[in-house]
Amino acid sequence: MLNYNSPIKDSKNYSEIKISEVETTAKINLRGKNRDFITKVGKELSIIPPTDPNTSSGNDSLNILWLSPDEWLIYSNNKIDQKNINDLEDRLYNSISKVKIGSVSNVTDHWVMINLKGAKVYELLSAGCPFNFNKFKNLKGAVTQTLINHTDVIIHNKNNNDLNIFVRRSFSNHLWSWMNDSAKFI
Amino acid sequence: MSKNLRILNNKFIDQTSRISFKFDGKTLYGFKGDTLASALLANNIHLVGRSFKYHRPRGIMTCGSEEPNAIVQVGKDHSMTEPNARATEIELYEGLEASSQNCWPSVNFDIGAINNFFSPLIPAAFYYKTFMWPASFWEKYEYFIRKSAGLGKSPTEPDKDIYDHRYLHCDVLVVGGGISGIIAAKMAAQNNFNTILIDDKNNLGGTTIFQQNECFKINNSFSNEWLKKEIESLNSIKNLTIKTRTTLAAYHNYNYLLARENLTDHLNLNEKKDKIRQRLWKIRAKKVIISTGAIERPLIFNNNDRPGIMLSSSIKKYIDYFGVKCGQKISLFTNNDSTYETAISLSNSGVNVNSVIDIRDKSNSSIVKNAEKLGIKIHWKHTVINTNGYKKINSIEIMKLSDDGNGVIGKKFKEECDCLGISGGWTPRVHLFTQSGGKLKFRDEDNVFLPDKSELNQVSIGSCNGDFELNEIIKNSVSSINKFLKVNNNSYENLEIISSKEVDKKNIWLLPSDKPLGKTKPFLDFQNDSTAKDVKLALAEGFKSIEHVKRYTTTGMGTDQGKLSNMHALGIIAEIAGVKMGELGTTTFRPPYTPLTFGTIVGRNVGEFFDITRKTPIHDWHVDNKAEFENVGQWKRAWYYPKKNENMHDAVQRESKAARDSAGILDASTLGKIDIQGSDASEFLNRVYTNAWSKLEIGKCRYGLMLNEDGMVYDDGVTTRLGENHYLMTTTTGGAANVLSKLEDYLQTEWPELDVYLTSVTDQYATVSICGPNSKKILSKVIPDLNLSDEEFPHMSYKNGLINNIKCRVMRISFTGEHSYEINIQSSYGKSVWEKCFEAGKEFNITPYGTETMHLLRAEKGFIIAGQDTDGTMTPVDLQMNWIISKKKYDFIGKRSLYRSDTIREDRKQLVGLLTDNPNEVLEEGAQIVAETNKKPVEMLGHVTSSYYSPNLKKSIALAVVKNGKNLKGQKMFVPMKNKIINVTITDTVFLDKENKRLNAKL
Amino acid sequence: MFLINCPYCGERDQSEFSAGGEAHIVRPKQPTELSDDQWAEFLFMRKNIKGVQFERWNHAHGCRKWFNMIRDTSNDKIHAVYKMGEKPPTK
Repeated sequence: MLNYNSPIKDSKNYSEIKISEVETTAKINLRGKNRDFITKVGKELSIIPPTDPNTSSGNDSLNILWLSPDEWLIYSNNKIDQKNINDLEDRLYNSISKVKIGSVSNVTDHWVMINLKGAKVYELLSAGCPFNFNKFKNLKGAVTQTLINHTDVIIHNKNNNDLNIFVRRSFSNHLWSWMNDSAKFI
Repeated sequence: MSKNLRILNNKFIDQTSRISFKFDGKTLYGFKGDTLASALLANNIHLVGRSFKYHRPRGIMTCGSEEPNAIVQVGKDHSMTEPNARATEIELYEGLEASSQNCWPSVNFDIGAINNFFSPLIPAAFYYKTFMWPASFWEKYEYFIRKSAGLGKSPTEPDKDIYDHRYLHCDVLVVGGGISGIIAAKMAAQNNFNTILIDDKNNLGGTTIFQQNECFKINNSFSNEWLKKEIESLNSIKNLTIKTRTTLAAYHNYNYLLARENLTDHLNLNEKKDKIRQRLWKIRAKKVIISTGAIERPLIFNNNDRPGIMLSSSIKKYIDYFGVKCGQKISLFTNNDSTYETAISLSNSGVNVNSVIDIRDKSNSSIVKNAEKLGIKIHWKHTVINTNGYKKINSIEIMKLSDDGNGVIGKKFKEECDCLGISGGWTPRVHLFTQSGGKLKFRDEDNVFLPDKSELNQVSIGSCNGDFELNEIIKNSVSSINKFLKVNNNSYENLEIISSKEVDKKNIWLLPSDKPLGKTKPFLDFQNDSTAKDVKLALAEGFKSIEHVKRYTTTGMGTDQGKLSNMHALGIIAEIAGVKMGELGTTTFRPPYTPLTFGTIVGRNVGEFFDITRKTPIHDWHVDNKAEFENVGQWKRAWYYPKKNENMHDAVQRESKAARDSAGILDASTLGKIDIQGSDASEFLNRVYTNAWSKLEIGKCRYGLMLNEDGMVYDDGVTTRLGENHYLMTTTTGGAANVLSKLEDYLQTEWPELDVYLTSVTDQYATVSICGPNSKKILSKVIPDLNLSDEEFPHMSYKNGLINNIKCRVMRISFTGEHSYEINIQSSYGKSVWEKCFEAGKEFNITPYGTETMHLLRAEKGFIIAGQDTDGTMTPVDLQMNWIISKKKYDFIGKRSLYRSDTIREDRKQLVGLLTDNPNEVLEEGAQIVAETNKKPVEMLGHVTSSYYSPNLKKSIALAVVKNGKNLKGQKMFVPMKNKIINVTITDTVFLDKENKRLNAKL
Repeated sequence: MFLINCPYCGERDQSEFSAGGEAHIVRPKQPTELSDDQWAEFLFMRKNIKGVQFERWNHAHGCRKWFNMIRDTSNDKIHAVYKMGEKPPTK
């Protein structure tokens, strides 16, 4: 057996902020330009990739985040085992990449997902993030790519004061430390 | 404490709560609400510092951020002391310790003051002129100059306080919480603008909040009472955030502003611990309203710098706000009406006002009449020509002004005083407006620069916009805000405002004396000790630009940035040069408005957070196994793994030998990985690499060199064809982000017709590299199902595999020249696979090696490292890698540049090998290479790019770039070092196994 | 610190972007047929105007898209942003 090692394996509580790593959600990067691509993804997943900037679409199991006019990130809401991740990747790869209408890359381990919950999450973000959350915080499903303390992140407004933040694995320990340090001073 | 200097004042100072503090080692007392300056004045201490050049005694002059003199050193601990803090802005707290600076041995007896007697010998730019020549003498002068000059001492240890940063986005930012700022904030917030009001003081209200004078009334209340109610009404308004103790430091383009909030500086010592001391707010405002008020101007006359000479409005604040008398016998000297407010306040508080010396012929305003009614004596059309008193003013000399104002007439007379209030009119604080790029206009009537044109969404209101009278401030502010916010608020329209109106104005920049200018000391810049005489001298010496005069005389270059001095310097220059002030322009106001500590600027980006650190999925194993780490970009990479008592050299020699003799294992996870998909993927690779890709079979790997359009090597790496339209590209560790960005650039801008998609998967995979003659045996233990025969799995090919049911890709590629495999597996299993390989390799003494050994092994084989052996000036031809340039391809990035006249020169620097005559002598990387040692100047032919002692070859090896190197094989060269010359021979770049026997050995 | 209106993502802080030099310099389709001088013109010559300048920018920490910007280098005023391949606005 190989041991599964996520980089953070932790969850912390502060006054009105909870920070936790969410392990083994599937993440797949999709790229494509034409209508066939959108239709195919919609057919395979029963979710249409959003074409409005800074938005997402989804159902009970999956979310599709808009990253750019030709790029999306799919992630699962729940923990999902290795085989199902592979199956999802293969299904999408065969119906999209193989037929030359776009690209499908498994980025499950490329991104680490950190969940931020609580009334003061936006105060925590304001310590290192130049993005203006004034509108974002009231738009459920809103997505942004920006920087938190000089580190690239994707932020998904999952619910009121409930955010999923995606950070590249190699940066995740540093961002985790920074978030915990900042949370002390909120 | 001398009790008679305090009057009862319960509004702003809590006289029931006494605070002890130390100044220059002496314990003193003040009250909660005091500043250090008000507490010192209450203790009858005016003398707080020495001037910069002449070391003249200087006293507290103002009550705010414009203070030039009362700058002190805070903190008892030398390692943690903070210099240049303004006593007028330090809120008193229990345990505060402060001391005078720029004086030695003490503020009362300062040896440097001898400069004062030599002052005729120390004119403008004295230091520049005297110590410029001969240059070598500077070292000798410097010690003494530094000791006697300089402003305060720097702390010697890292700042223990905590600082942080916050971003803030708002609709309206109001800077300054005086009467106009409060009206603005209220109007904005009431109209649903998300509004922030900041003020640098601990209380809102500016100067109006202590203005209790019959001449200034709103709706039949004193203006302070009216304003107090307005402030109270702010509490119930939504959308409004008020930040006090917050100074705007910088106003940048696009309404991006930086403000420093003081969170703990006013707290008692024992309350500060573990809290953020100062916070830097990074504010992005849709609209900015500047209501920063005005600074009172001093008057420029002989000996105008003695302790006890203060701005008249400050004397008023000390009595009305702090309840502190700045003197017992106060004289006032003015050219405008506002001093009469001070006179009335003093008189109402029972302080004896000797007289008001007013340079004007008369004034008929109501405030002057009220002062006269109180029996205050006024010397119309008189001026102060001199002051007396060394450490504190004790008398002034007065004479009548001539009709033209250029001279004095009549008999001089003396007036005894212990404090002199001076008022030269008002200067709008336009600093922030100009910082933001706004242009100023000049108003001749009262000689002020006012905000004019701005590209930004902002407006200035109140006295910073040139409105100095209460009714104008309110009326004009309200109409400006209505227009600016496009609202229609008429709640202030029907206010009944009583306000004294000043009609008689007179301004003389440099007041005359009975002595000629050469014999007087009229100070312009109090902190930097420049006088009107210095400015005249600069002009006489030919300086014309205001920016040059400023630097030559250092006027306005102190920590106060000339807040008090600039206008007079401009006025005097304009007069002498015979130009209008408006045409002369001003010097530039640069941020920060008041000095910031470095701590505030860097926030939490210290220590662990100084820079981002990236870690591989196997990082913890390296830590557990005592690896030393090397920074490669932001990555922490295992550098070498020292065993007990091993130094770096020993460890690297052992690791390098083991990797060639049996087996080595390297964490290569940091290499950039780009997933390339799309029907034009092969064509795309043809265009970005120098070699051809179309014919690469699925399942095969190929090394590629990437150039810039200028033909210079940019990056390199191995790319694997995973499928018909699918490749995995690897890049160098440091180049990953730039390569992806460059490739995206070409796809988006030059070749949008190509059907290619790039996705970074660098962090998706951990890469475990096993090399050495036993690598095959080890891999067969880890993945027993994989056929590792050379036929099935040759060098430069890849296979999919499964390790305990987890998918992985295995590439047979080599950066060491050894038989070697790289396992790519999703990162979460990286550490586990590494451990499995390590376990499987134990019987073969598998040795973990770090980046240093990797570099050594590849150098033995002459493989380049892009960025170490190349530096942006090397073409593939320079690297003697002509084999990698496709002759058949019509175009690729950089191709055309490979036959520019410059790139085809034979005598370019080319990559070669170097062997030292003494095989034990290891060259220094960066060392210069020459052909002759006697010829001068010595011609540098090149330098060493990589150098190691090879344990496998038992000699020193190096790579170098040398002019015309490829034609110099076998030539002797020299590497001159500090104390020796090393003899070297130019060789081929491949030192070990030229025939690739190791790579192709049957294992 | 500019506030830049990414044509795809909307207004963002400058720190999310990287600048990419002068815009509308098209890479020659047939570089091999150019003289040294013609190639040098493409490779090296840039205007660096004081005043209104056409520039390339990349929303590097956002959607990663390149776009064009018209900016006055004397006061940093951004007059317009537009997508790659689009013609600059005429006004």
